[in-house]
Amino acid sequence: MTSLTTFYLSGIIGKEAFGADGDVIGIVKDLLINAVPSGQSDPNQQLVTGIKLKIRKETGFYSFKPFRISKAREMLNVTCTELIRLSNDEVNNGLLLDENILDKQIVDLNGRKLVRVNDVRLATLPTGTFAVAVDVGIEGLLRRIGISAPINKLVSLFRIKIPAKFILWDDVQAIDFSNLNIKLSKSYAKLHTLHPSDLADILEDLGKKSSTSVFNALDEEKAADVLEELEPDAQVHIVESLPVYKVADVLEKMPADEVADILDELEDDKAELLLKEMEAESSQEVRELLEYDDDLVGSIMTTDFLSFSSTKTVEEVLGELRIRKPEAVELYNLFVTEANDKLIGTFNLRDLVVAEPKKTLEQIMKSEPVSLFDDQKTTAIAEIVSKYNLLAVPVIDQNEQLQGMVVVDDVVEDLISERRTRKRRK
Amino acid sequence: MAGLIIGRRHLFRRLAIFLMILGPGIITGSVDNDAGGITTYSVAGALYGYGLIWTLIPSFVFLIVIQEMNARMGIVTGKGLADLIRENVGIKITFLIFVGLLLSGIGNTTTEFAGVAGSMEVFGVTKYISVPVVAVMVWLLVVKGTYKIAERIFLIFSMSLLTYVVSAIMGKPDWKEIGAAVINPHFEVSSQSMTMVIALVGTTIAPWMQFYMQSTVIEKGLKMKHYKYTLADIIVGCIITVVVAFFIMVACASTLHPNGIRINEAKDAAMALRPLAGNLASQVFAFGLFVASIFSATILPLATAYFVCEAFGFEAGIDKKWDEAREFYILYTSILVISMMIILIPNAPLIPISIWSQVINGILLPVVLISMIILINKKKIMGQHVNRPASNFIGWSAVVILVVLSAALLVLPLLNM
Repeated sequence: MTSLTTFYLSGIIGKEAFGADGDVIGIVKDLLINAVPSGQSDPNQQLVTGIKLKIRKETGFYSFKPFRISKAREMLNVTCTELIRLSNDEVNNGLLLDENILDKQIVDLNGRKLVRVNDVRLATLPTGTFAVAVDVGIEGLLRRIGISAPINKLVSLFRIKIPAKFILWDDVQAIDFSNLNIKLSKSYAKLHTLHPSDLADILEDLGKKSSTSVFNALDEEKAADVLEELEPDAQVHIVESLPVYKVADVLEKMPADEVADILDELEDDKAELLLKEMEAESSQEVRELLEYDDDLVGSIMTTDFLSFSSTKTVEEVLGELRIRKPEAVELYNLFVTEANDKLIGTFNLRDLVVAEPKKTLEQIMKSEPVSLFDDQKTTAIAEIVSKYNLLAVPVIDQNEQLQGMVVVDDVVEDLISERRTRKRRK
Repeated sequence: MAGLIIGRRHLFRRLAIFLMILGPGIITGSVDNDAGGITTYSVAGALYGYGLIWTLIPSFVFLIVIQEMNARMGIVTGKGLADLIRENVGIKITFLIFVGLLLSGIGNTTTEFAGVAGSMEVFGVTKYISVPVVAVMVWLLVVKGTYKIAERIFLIFSMSLLTYVVSAIMGKPDWKEIGAAVINPHFEVSSQSMTMVIALVGTTIAPWMQFYMQSTVIEKGLKMKHYKYTLADIIVGCIITVVVAFFIMVACASTLHPNGIRINEAKDAAMALRPLAGNLASQVFAFGLFVASIFSATILPLATAYFVCEAFGFEAGIDKKWDEAREFYILYTSILVISMMIILIPNAPLIPISIWSQVINGILLPVVLISMIILINKKKIMGQHVNRPASNFIGWSAVVILVVLSAALLVLPLLNM
């Protein structure tokens, strides 16, 4: 007998398990693996810990330790020396291969997309039985339907091989934990390696229930990044299906203009509820933005920006930036204002870095800056941005007071999404 | 302050929501009256006069109940019907359903091209020109990614199906007789009339449309709070379907039936209308057929390829590149090409093909419906929105009636042999 036996999940489900004395003790219904890995590359994460057996009329979970799966002349044998019941806790911390993985969608972490599982490949080593890879290829599909052998024979006449496609267990993340009460944040740990926009694409493709539970498992920072990247439809769904306090926490981590966009899509009562739940400072900014109509510059600007008095020295400003640690977009585009918030100049990080420490902002700033009015139409933005090659344009009101800035990223996003929705809506 | 401004937007938003949501039901209802449907209604009208118009009433009820279930499943789960069946019903049944769906997809697309060929022949264009041109046009339209625009254009065009009302009225139908036939239906039990009834119900409630309806609802991103609008949309769509069907049957029943003209294709109906109701009526009929055929020839192969890929986990969608979704594009192109080839074979056996695709539909429909009813009654999937007893009752009656009719259709020819 070899020390390594590999087999498919589909080959073992519905098989009879034999006891030590050679009698049938039950029928294999499912295999349980550890769903809460202690780390990303923890080998025990894929260890089969339990087995779901149907013994006469009753179905129960048993420890997999006394079970052994062996192959003799292409036939799989399931044998067992002893039946040990698993506690509810152990079952709840596990992931069922047939119920939660097979035929379900899972995330392919390398391909950064959803794939459907046709089969699961397992291997028995001296140390235990492990889930090794998921089969997402056509070959697995045919095997499941039971026509793999004849079709293979048929196409081999044409010298074609049906492609098999496997993804290693390390590189997949199960999604469907719907019937289990485990700590989801830990179970979805692998998803944290994905970029927020990829994660957002995946959430959009998932069913409503799964997208909510995956989102709920993300920490606030990540959740905020992902929410920002979602399409409006999906944003509304997420915001409406999660508890208000949770959403408010996530919204506080987002730029006010993005929050305003989301709230704009919601019903008034819900939006008001969220605004009340958010911290006063963040919600006030959002409220101000909400007053602008959709097609005005004010609706698209961010109110997170940095402005300084013209008498400050380069040294002082650098010191202040070190303390405040602003986001990149704020850091690149800096403004100079008078006492009453009146915009008198702009400067950027480069101006600051290359200047002598003792110089004042007045000496290094570009005066008479190009700016937009908050009640100007958004159509004016693209022209100004491209004409003056700007990364961000300051936005002022009729009293020339600085209100915010329009970042080129947001404009690009809007231009693309405008084209995209036009394509889709027509 | 902020509240006041939000309030001002309220009215517009409500109107916008309504317009935004209108669509899935109406589009599905319009695709429903495809070349196959027009053919079936014409033949039924020519053959049985007003005798089978009553079948539209149960069809209408079934259609609404079934589409409502699809819409509800789409709204609640956000998942396509193919996804749900694959995840919950088992891979072997999934495989059977989708092999059936693929075959009937090819059969139905063939029927659409037959409609294109037939209607253009009325205007004197040979099928060897009209069919390849339309096929290439449809392929380009979809693959070049302007499908959504096309869908809207077709939707407007499909309003031209209402020209059948004109066709029907030009035939000066006897409204009293129609009323009597609907209120007091007669049903002779023969293999031929049974086939006709199944074909009528089957063409009105085609299996692939359940998948189509559900994915359109998801694509629209509808929510449970839009449910009322969605229901209104479905009812409007079903009314369009049934009204158009009614007038096609009336048009053929009032002109062809009394003169004893038997027809096999919708084209025959258009041709036969010429001496009886005038050239205009004939051309109006043919134009309606042409638009309906292209509309469905665009959507059907695309939808079929999409659902098969969805169920088997291949990447699908026209927004994907060829390399990303190879299976999808190969499948889509093959359906289109195979259907086109069948039509272009001289003396192609069109009638057996359309009968066989109806038979596959007839067998497939109960299987899909049973899967749907099982899915929609699962708390785990639907939560609080599981089926009400009334929907279950109508759903199951539809299944039983369809199974009995289909079984009868399969058995009766054997008895007659």
